[in-house]
Amino acid sequence: MTTKELQFAYKVKLALDANLDNLSEDTLQHLSAARRVAMARKKKAVVVRVQQPVLAGALGGTMSSESPSWLSRLGVAVPLLAGMILFAGLYQHETAKRVTDLAEIDAAVLSDELPLSAYLDHGFNAFLAEKGE
Amino acid sequence: MATDKELSDFLENVERRAFKQAVYAVRKDEAALDIVQDAMIKLAEKYGDKPADELPMLFQRILQNTIHDFFRREKVRNTWVSLFSSFGHGGEEGQDDFDVLESLESAQGTEAAESSADKVERQQTLMQIDAEIQKLPTRQREAFLMRYWQDMDVAETAAAMGCSEGSVKTHCSRATHALAQALRAKGITL
Repeated sequence: MTTKELQFAYKVKLALDANLDNLSEDTLQHLSAARRVAMARKKKAVVVRVQQPVLAGALGGTMSSESPSWLSRLGVAVPLLAGMILFAGLYQHETAKRVTDLAEIDAAVLSDELPLSAYLDHGFNAFLAEKGE
Repeated sequence: MATDKELSDFLENVERRAFKQAVYAVRKDEAALDIVQDAMIKLAEKYGDKPADELPMLFQRILQNTIHDFFRREKVRNTWVSLFSSFGHGGEEGQDDFDVLESLESAQGTEAAESSADKVERQQTLMQIDAEIQKLPTRQREAFLMRYWQDMDVAETAAAMGCSEGSVKTHCSRATHALAQALRAKGITL
């Protein structure tokens, strides 16, 4: 845009500004009322509350507000890891115990002279009962 | 974030120009007042928490959208009206044939009629400029007024109009030439 055009635009702007003084009093009152209505409905500022994790608060409570991000994550991760290790250990222990029990039963059955089917015979059970008496 | 005072001062500063902008577009004072009020409320309700320096661009965008909404509603209304009557549009055409003498006659008895000849001539020139601004194509008028009357830069104007910066420059240049030519034809030189 040339300087001449800018000067022309500036003069038009002055003319338009001058013309604003010709607005009627009624119009000005309406605009003022509209402004008051708008101000009454102004959006209020939203207060943002930052919530810290409970575990992070326990571990990183004394740290500065800028550094606790990794500490707070560690505070969550460590108990989770400990829980998982404990659970895995319990599972391993129970499995080993069950295997041992089964092995003992197998050994007892294999070392016995009587076959397993003998215990299913009612007559043999009656014989054992008599013998016990 | 804009304080209540900043927002109030901003609205007070732009309300009269916004009203004239709306009048240029819709050519009805009552409708223009409604548009400006809607735009102010929308700005305060939705963007009242924005920084003060963003308010001019946001307000202009809202104002232009509100004006466009008005025309959409008018179009729908006119469609229904035209179903029942094809007459009654003479009044709008009459505004294109703006006559300064008629305007002066209508101002008889007012402050302008009682003042000196210079003041009358000045008022006459201002009204001519007003009328010629109103006659500009919509996009050219929007760009011209935002850029030079509202003192918005090219980027802000482009953002408010939803077009490229190149388009803003083109609209402004065309508006300036059209306005200068129209005023020159009426014997007005600025």
